[in-house]
Amino acid sequence: MDLTLIVVLVIALALFFDFTNGFHDTANAMATPIATGAITPKKAVALAAVLNLVGAFLSTEVAKTISGGIINEDPTTGVQIMPEMIFAGLMGAVIWNVFTWMLGLPSSSSHALFGGLVGAAIVGAGFGAIDYGVLLSKVLLPALCAPLIAGISAYLCTKLAYSITKRQNGASPKRGGFRYGQIFSSSLVALAHGTNDAQKTMGVITLTLVASGMQRAGTGPHLWVVATCAVAIALGTYTGGWRIIRTMGSGLTDVKPAQGFAAEVSTASAILTSSHLGFALSTTQVASGSVIGSGLGRKGAEVRWGTAGRIALGWLFTLPAAAIVGGAAAALTHIGAVGVGIVAVVGVGTLLLFWYMSRKDHVGHDTAMSDIDNSGAAVNILSKKERRARAKAEATAARKLAQEAMDKEADIS
Amino acid sequence: MIEWSAFLIVALVSWVAAMCIVVAYSFGVRLLAVARDEHRNTQVNKYGAYLCFGLCGLIVLFGVVLIVPQLSEAILGL
Repeated sequence: MDLTLIVVLVIALALFFDFTNGFHDTANAMATPIATGAITPKKAVALAAVLNLVGAFLSTEVAKTISGGIINEDPTTGVQIMPEMIFAGLMGAVIWNVFTWMLGLPSSSSHALFGGLVGAAIVGAGFGAIDYGVLLSKVLLPALCAPLIAGISAYLCTKLAYSITKRQNGASPKRGGFRYGQIFSSSLVALAHGTNDAQKTMGVITLTLVASGMQRAGTGPHLWVVATCAVAIALGTYTGGWRIIRTMGSGLTDVKPAQGFAAEVSTASAILTSSHLGFALSTTQVASGSVIGSGLGRKGAEVRWGTAGRIALGWLFTLPAAAIVGGAAAALTHIGAVGVGIVAVVGVGTLLLFWYMSRKDHVGHDTAMSDIDNSGAAVNILSKKERRARAKAEATAARKLAQEAMDKEADIS
Repeated sequence: MIEWSAFLIVALVSWVAAMCIVVAYSFGVRLLAVARDEHRNTQVNKYGAYLCFGLCGLIVLFGVVLIVPQLSEAILGL
C-alpha cells in the first residue's frame, strides 16, 4: 500500500494534536515560576520549549498500543484499528483541547486522546470494544488520585518550607531565595513532560504507519517521526497557552516563591515516581493538585474553589466529550472518502471558530499575569549597584527640590 | 484489577522525595538569611547553606537520571 490521503491526514492531525498538547501543558511547568516572577514569561516558555524538545529526543520507548489497552487492540480477538478510526479519535481530542484552552481550563491531553479513540471505537465496533476495567484503573482512578497525592504533598512541603524559614525576633526570612530553586524544579517538570507526551504522538503515527503497511510491526519510530513530533510539541510549548497559565498561576491561588517551589517539587516528584512505579498520573492533574495544596498550606493564601470546581468539571467531561466528538467523526468516516473530507472541513472550521472567539479577549505573555508581575516588581530585591544608583538619583532629586524651594522663597521675598 | 499497593507506594515515595528536597532547600535559604544579617559564624552558615543547595541539586540530578532512559540504564542498571 502506498501513501494514501488518510495516512497523510492522520499524520498532520497527530502533529497538530502534539502542538495543542504542548501549549496546553506549558502551564504545568511554567505557571508558578511566572507567577512569582522567578523567570520572565517569554524566557519561561522558551526554556520549557527547549526542554520539551530535548525530552522528546531522549525518550524512544514508544507505547505498543495507541490507547494503552483501553480499547481491545488484540489482533485476533479485538478491534482492528484503522487509520480512519485514529483520524476520528484525534479530531475529538484536538477539538476538546482547543475548546478547554479557550476556556482557560487545564485538562489532560492524554485523556482527550483516549476519549476520542474510545468514541471512535464504540461507533466502529460497539460497546464491547472497550475494556472497562482498564478504563477504570488507568483513567478514572488516577484522575482522583493525582490531585490528592500531589495536593497533600504540596500542602506538607509548603508548611515545612514556611516553618523552617520562619525566624524568631522578626528578622527577614528572605524567602525570595526560593525563586532560584523554582527555575530548576520547573525545568525538571518540563523535561519530564517532553519525554512522556511527545512519545504518545510518536506512538500514534508509528502505529498508523504499521496499520497501513508502510512500516514493519514491532520496529521503532522513524527518525523523521521523532524529529517532527519533538518540533511540534516544542513549538506548541513556545506558543504558550497563556490562558491556562493565567488560570494555574493566579486563578487558583496567589503563588509566592516558597509556595511555588513546594508546588513544583511536589509535581516533579509525583510525576517521576508514578511513571517509574507503574501508576501513571496525568501531568496536568498532578500540577493542578499541587497548586491547590500549596495554596492551602500557606497562611494567608486563599484557594478559589470556584475555579478549582470548574477545572474538576472539565476533567469529568474530558473523556466523554472527546468520545462524543470522536464518535460523531467516526460515524461520518464510515461513509467513505467523502465522510473523511467532511470531518476534516468541519473540524478545521470548528477550530477556526474557537480561535476567532478567543480573539475577543486576548491573553498573551504581556497580559497573562499583569498584576502578579507588578507585585513581583514591588518585592524585587535590588542589587548593590542598583541601590546605589537609586540612592544617588533620590539625593539629586531631593537637592533639586530643595533648590527650587529656595529659589521660590527668594522670588517671594 | 485496581492496584491499591501501587497507589500507596507512589503516594509515599513522592511525598518523602518532595519533602526531602524542600527541607534541604529551606534550610539553605534559612542559613543564607542568617549568614546575611547575624554576624556570628558567617562563614559556617554560608557553607552550610551551599551544602544544603548542593544536596538539593544531587536529588534533582537523580531525577534527571530517572527521566533519561540512557542514563538510568548506564548508572542504575534499570
